[in-house]
Amino acid sequence: MTDAKLRGLAEQLAAGVIARREFLRKSAIVTGGTAAGLTVLERMAGAQPATKMRVWLFKSFVTAGNDVLAKQVEAWAKERRVQVEMDWATFGDREQKFVAAIEAGNPPDIAEMNYQGPSRYKAALRDVSALARSIADARGGLLPYAERYVNLGGQFYGVARLAFGGGFFLRKDILEAKGVKPPKVYDPDVLEMAKKCQDPSKDLWGFGQTLNRSDDGNGFMQNILWNYGGSAWDKDGKPALATTFYKQNLEALQFAVDTIQRHKVQPPGVMGWTDVHNNEAYMAGKLVSTNNGASLYYAMVNRKHPLAEKTQVILTPGGPAGSFVSAGAYNWGVFKQSKLHELSEDLIRWVEDEGRFEEYMKVCIGQAGAVYKKRAEHSYWKSDPNFEGMLQNILRSVWAGYPGPFTAAAVEVQAQYILCDMAGRVVTAGLSPEAALKEAHKRVEDIHKIRSRA
Amino acid sequence: MAKLVQSTAARVLAEDAALPMRGRPGRAGLKRWLGPDHRLGYLFVLPIVVMVLGLVAYPFGYAVYLSMTQKFVGTPPVFVGFENYVRLASDGFFQRAVVNSFTFTLSSVAVKLVLGLGMALVLTAPIRWRSFWTGVLLIPWVAPTVVSALNFLWIYDGSLGVLNYLLVKVFGVLDHGVGWLSEPGTAMASVIAVNVWRGFPFFGISFLAGMKAIPGELYEAAAVDGASALRRFRHVTLPGIKNIVIIVVLLSTIWTFNDFAIIYILTKGGPGGATQVIPVFTYEMAFGAQRLGEAIAVALYLLPALAFVIIVLSNYMRRGRDR
Amino acid sequence: MAVSVPAGGAGGRGDRRRSQAATARLQSAVSYAILLTLLLLVLFPFYWMTITSFKSEDQMRSLVSMFWPSPVVLENYEQLLTKTEFVSWYGNSVLVAVSSTLLATAVGTIGAYALARLRFLGRAFMSSAVLITYLVPPSILFIPLYAQIKNLGLANSLAGLIAAYPSFTVPFVTWLLMGYFESIPEELEEAAMIDGATRFGAFRRVILPLAAPGLLAAALYAFTQAWNEFLYALVFITDARLRTLPVGLASFITGDVYGWGYLMAGAVLTTVPVIAAYIYLQKYMVEGLTAGGVKG
Repeated sequence: MTDAKLRGLAEQLAAGVIARREFLRKSAIVTGGTAAGLTVLERMAGAQPATKMRVWLFKSFVTAGNDVLAKQVEAWAKERRVQVEMDWATFGDREQKFVAAIEAGNPPDIAEMNYQGPSRYKAALRDVSALARSIADARGGLLPYAERYVNLGGQFYGVARLAFGGGFFLRKDILEAKGVKPPKVYDPDVLEMAKKCQDPSKDLWGFGQTLNRSDDGNGFMQNILWNYGGSAWDKDGKPALATTFYKQNLEALQFAVDTIQRHKVQPPGVMGWTDVHNNEAYMAGKLVSTNNGASLYYAMVNRKHPLAEKTQVILTPGGPAGSFVSAGAYNWGVFKQSKLHELSEDLIRWVEDEGRFEEYMKVCIGQAGAVYKKRAEHSYWKSDPNFEGMLQNILRSVWAGYPGPFTAAAVEVQAQYILCDMAGRVVTAGLSPEAALKEAHKRVEDIHKIRSRA
Repeated sequence: MAKLVQSTAARVLAEDAALPMRGRPGRAGLKRWLGPDHRLGYLFVLPIVVMVLGLVAYPFGYAVYLSMTQKFVGTPPVFVGFENYVRLASDGFFQRAVVNSFTFTLSSVAVKLVLGLGMALVLTAPIRWRSFWTGVLLIPWVAPTVVSALNFLWIYDGSLGVLNYLLVKVFGVLDHGVGWLSEPGTAMASVIAVNVWRGFPFFGISFLAGMKAIPGELYEAAAVDGASALRRFRHVTLPGIKNIVIIVVLLSTIWTFNDFAIIYILTKGGPGGATQVIPVFTYEMAFGAQRLGEAIAVALYLLPALAFVIIVLSNYMRRGRDR
Repeated sequence: MAVSVPAGGAGGRGDRRRSQAATARLQSAVSYAILLTLLLLVLFPFYWMTITSFKSEDQMRSLVSMFWPSPVVLENYEQLLTKTEFVSWYGNSVLVAVSSTLLATAVGTIGAYALARLRFLGRAFMSSAVLITYLVPPSILFIPLYAQIKNLGLANSLAGLIAAYPSFTVPFVTWLLMGYFESIPEELEEAAMIDGATRFGAFRRVILPLAAPGLLAAALYAFTQAWNEFLYALVFITDARLRTLPVGLASFITGDVYGWGYLMAGAVLTTVPVIAAYIYLQKYMVEGLTAGGVKG
């Protein structure tokens, strides 16, 4: 008798007719609150299907950070009694994951995206303006460089979280030994430093910067064009590689290629590097300097690597037109198709809570760069002289599309590695820099045309 | 001519009449046309037909359609006719992928052919434990391609890989390690080597089967005639396995041309596009550039050539079976 | 092999026999030399892969104990099995490969029998169609096939792979078995039918048992193909825990390159079942291939 009544209540609960609390109350009456009854109850209550939420996180090289974030998400899930299915995207498969899922019509509920995400996947993302604004306001507002990536035409398609800090890593012990000062510009400072400090016979090279298809290579190419006063885009957002800024771009491209071909300050095989190879080479003691994100610093400090103390991270060097870098903000995106957007927004609030973010930031050892004004003022960034360079690199960041506006086409050009492909054509395919520039210009034009049509 | 047709027709009809007739006499005509075993036959081939239509024919048709559209992620396709194909024709990266595909395929197949012949000859020579060695030599072909690719990625590693270690420290042939997969000069040869390593046993075992099928009397006759081993090889062995060689070479050409895993894992098409081939380029177009319509156009671009090879090959294979 | 036998009987019987013996020895020596080279080429990578799986990260980075790890460490296997999703991947691969094998063998056997033995309209056309199907490369099909799988609601699921794999396992199995069935004398079935069995009965009671080695070879081949498949598994599955082994292993290098030790451990564990099955059934496989598909 009692059993049937309990089962009836359970059905009602499953059908959503009564709330959990009601169920527990009514069933307690039914069972008379006996111990046996309570265990039966628990078992039945536990057997109800919980809400399942799919969360995609980004697996960076900073494993401690990944672990902390995962734990925080799990804690939230337990607190809200939600079942969370976590999945990870990496540098290598991130794009494919998103494309496949969106095309298949089953994207996750919430995903950690890089700066390209809001632009590329806008069609599938939810407008999260209210949440983004409220979070930003509570933290002194978004830093301008970060806001550009998530605020598309007045609407927010992502809630900014952090930017990967980074900079120019150099072996201060070697520089001191040779009496060389930290460089401020690439040409001639970095070149001279590299030539003076390297020792190819001992497999020690002055500068390790790949031009291969990778975030590292792409970022460097973008920066070097700006450093020479060039860019892929002009002030109005039109393609400018082989037109408006032809002369400057040519100079920049020539310099980049020369570091490998003419000056011989780069290790052999550098064109085959992906994002992780320069980290490895630096830690193996083969490089005097390299550009990288904070993950390299994290790896050394975490492992108590002997080179950690011998490393100095400074502002990325510049060129004749100044020193330019572009940092991208990682952000949270909620997908339109998700039925759990309220829960997703709740999760975002949870992990972006300053206490939790601080915990995360501290284990990342520099990679969790600030996107909000208040976070940039945190004392943590003063705790290690190397952080200063990393932070400043973020704060002075410009955006994809500079000096023109931030556009979807500009993001696409970055996402498709047009710039480092261009350099690759010169180094590995033997194209002349002029020809490579013209070819890349055409590709940029194609993208511009397509994205304007869309 | 008419007489020939007539006599052939008479013969066929006679044979037909000799077939055992099943089923009710009234439906004899239809039955005969469908074939005596048509009930069981159609039933048995139904699953295959369904599968071929559903998993190959229909997607293929859809692929052709998609290749003529512009399609981005999460948006419906927009028909644009042959625009994708036209644009690709002048795309330097696509052109390079085509050249690389041909280089990769032709070189790999050529080397596999030679190694396969060597392997087959060795296994027909007077050596002991022959079937055991046969089994061992087939292992690269049986192992997962991905595993082999990852393995060679490790072997080729610039700083920690064993190949450089052997060449520099053990044999002293080189001064310092080579970036096998990261130097544009050596990358293509390195991936070809992996494909060859993986694929030559298939050539070997097929040639071996073919050689075993050659009647021993032919060799004896040749030997009695005083032919040297080399001449016996040229005049008895080679002609005997000619059909198999053609089949295997064409089959391997198709497989190698469309090989994805090896290059994707070893170089992803790098460095700087030096080993970019059509299948990897397709994948990149689809998931990197997210231009799905163009991606399929890339894959279908060489379809006419591929179809030609497929038809020639299938003719040979059918001919070989019908003997 | 590449040595000429002196023509004619110029040297007399004794001489000829001696030189023939010498030639045979030379032939043998050359054969063994080439065999040894091939064996070395074939086996060295597997040896390397295995010992790497037993090396510690320090051993690898400092290039010590290159050719035999000392000490042998098990931490790679530990890490692989406890800290990664390798075990899930293994289960996924087993599920997909076994299901695919059963499906392909069932469909392929009856299809092959029909195409090889039964007489019905359209049989020749279907044979060619099956063969051509096999030759259409996955790099053309993977995008539209993915769209198809997604329309069936099977995207990002193992069922999707099991549904898609027959596109390459079935045609080859069919082709292989067609040749095998053809090599069985028709008289056997005729005898059974004279004794009163139906066509189907003859198939079941006479042909199937006889074709067992061929079926085994076909099943093994289908299993191997499904186990090793990479492109479809890469594209159709997005969730990390649903990955199959090839994709899972490959994912180790896109994330954290330092994992050579446990990557090789994973590689070893992935290769073992296929090699084991292959060693056990190798005889059948070679026989099956020889009797079936590629005939001269």
